[in-house]
Amino acid sequence: MVLSFFKKGESPLDRISHETVLMLGDARHSFDLASTALLAGADASAVSSDIRATDDRINAAEQRLRSELVVHIAVHGGDDIGVVMGYTLLLKKIERIGDQAKNILDLAEDGISLSGAPDIEDFLTRRQTISQMYVDAADILVSLDVDSARQFLDRSMEMNRECEQKIHDYMRSDEPGHWAVPRAVLHRYWKRIVANLAGIVTSAIEPIQSLDYTDDGSTDIVDD
Amino acid sequence: MSSTAPLTLPRWFRGLLVLAIIYLFLVGVSSLESGIKVMGADTQERLFSSVSNPIVGLFIGVVGTVLVQSSSASTSLIVGLVASGALGLDQAVPMIMGANIGTTVTNTLVSLGHVRQSQEFRRALSAATVHDFFNLMAVTILLPFELLTGRISWLASRTAEILTGSGGSEWKSPIKAWVKHPVGWLKDGLKQASLEETSLGVSMVVIGIIVVVVSLIAVTKNMKALIAERLEASMNRVLGRGGGLVAMVIGMLVTISVQSSSITTSILIPMAAAGVISLRNIYPVTLGANVGTTITALLAALAASGSDALTIALVHTWFNVLGIVVLYGIPFLRPLPIRCAELLAELAVKRRSLAVGWVVSVFVIIPLLVIAIFR
Repeated sequence: MVLSFFKKGESPLDRISHETVLMLGDARHSFDLASTALLAGADASAVSSDIRATDDRINAAEQRLRSELVVHIAVHGGDDIGVVMGYTLLLKKIERIGDQAKNILDLAEDGISLSGAPDIEDFLTRRQTISQMYVDAADILVSLDVDSARQFLDRSMEMNRECEQKIHDYMRSDEPGHWAVPRAVLHRYWKRIVANLAGIVTSAIEPIQSLDYTDDGSTDIVDD
Repeated sequence: MSSTAPLTLPRWFRGLLVLAIIYLFLVGVSSLESGIKVMGADTQERLFSSVSNPIVGLFIGVVGTVLVQSSSASTSLIVGLVASGALGLDQAVPMIMGANIGTTVTNTLVSLGHVRQSQEFRRALSAATVHDFFNLMAVTILLPFELLTGRISWLASRTAEILTGSGGSEWKSPIKAWVKHPVGWLKDGLKQASLEETSLGVSMVVIGIIVVVVSLIAVTKNMKALIAERLEASMNRVLGRGGGLVAMVIGMLVTISVQSSSITTSILIPMAAAGVISLRNIYPVTLGANVGTTITALLAALAASGSDALTIALVHTWFNVLGIVVLYGIPFLRPLPIRCAELLAELAVKRRSLAVGWVVSVFVIIPLLVIAIFR
């Protein structure tokens, strides 16, 4: 271990970036498992331990990477302060996305199952789109491509508008509560996940002072 | 997540630059030695008679190091003085130990930057003063031991004999020959200015001191830039694996690389303040830094004449190694510096002026008073 001091390795910030992408991969894994339990009828208790273990891994990675960011500043001084603060926000957003996958699992563990529901195709399509957004967000974190990020943000705004409309419709639905409420809650979780993914992508291309704020100064994070 | 990269020198160029600066450093040490020799015996006697008292020598070591904020610089200068014959080994040993105390002022000053936030300040100050307390305790134990038995200088002398393969002062460092010419040119240049012997000697000493201090600052700055990523990765390993021997070795390697224990220990302060590294994990890194910083005096000894220069440099190394053996190796003594640092930090959080009082009294007032009284 001490001899590794003499070996040239990956740059610490590159390593943090790499680990951030892995965390996003873990968050997607949790999301897919939780969604499978709710939408495809998988046994919630069977996926629960995997999701919680993945969440623990995300939380541990967040703590470790935060420490490493402090070390980076201690060694390099203020040169990378903007990047370090950006990563701090980004890590928190990934950790929240991990928690939101657990929220979806909670629905399944409460006995809610939407598999076989007449509107399941709509749910599965949206779930697939969101799952792909994790991959796209990770790609943007690696490439830092501004055009791809702008397209991603447009798609996320569109997705959030659709989720908001759905929530609005369920709230006013004539269907019984046990039908409308799980659907409204699921769309709320999706909306939160997409907003946090958008926040992650924004942190890759925007300066630190404007993260989570729109041009007119209002917050663009609807909730945590 | 992009950052504007500052203008950086190519690594190979910085590496060559470091080698050139180290050469300059060695020329500085040799110039200091030559300058003292040129001054003549009377001037040497007037300058160094007061340090025959070991307590005065100790505190001159403290104050001298506080002034240059680098034990690497002060111990290199001591090596030069010993090589010139102006300073005896007996006189130099307490000064070397004082340099060890003086060097801890830098990270303690860094910790004062966290004074506004109580919990951060408590962690930062304790992280800084654990180095102070360790060195104070090591001197308290090992200076009387050395004065009574002379075993540390005996150990250093034996090691020097083994390393040089000779038993006397006839040992000639090969590096001394490499730096001979620039020092000769400097001496000839100053002679052309029609300086009398003492003025010529003083000029060479002053130039030597300036070259040593400036080149050490430059080496530290460039080496830090050169190994910043490895340094960061090493600190992350300390965080991941905790303290112990590995942390000690990492502290030593980092300090050898940057030629400054202050850099290593000062990097730990913001990490401690943020709470990402515990005092118990900082402690061994600090001890490793203590040993690592002795490399500079050893390097300086390579440019100096005679085996005494190497012996005093090795006294610095052995003093720090024995300090670890006694204070870290004996289980009931190990937590003592940590407890003292925690206690001081606890008190300083309640009364901030205590921290400033600690720095001013330990590193300035007490040493100056002792020097004034006993010289």
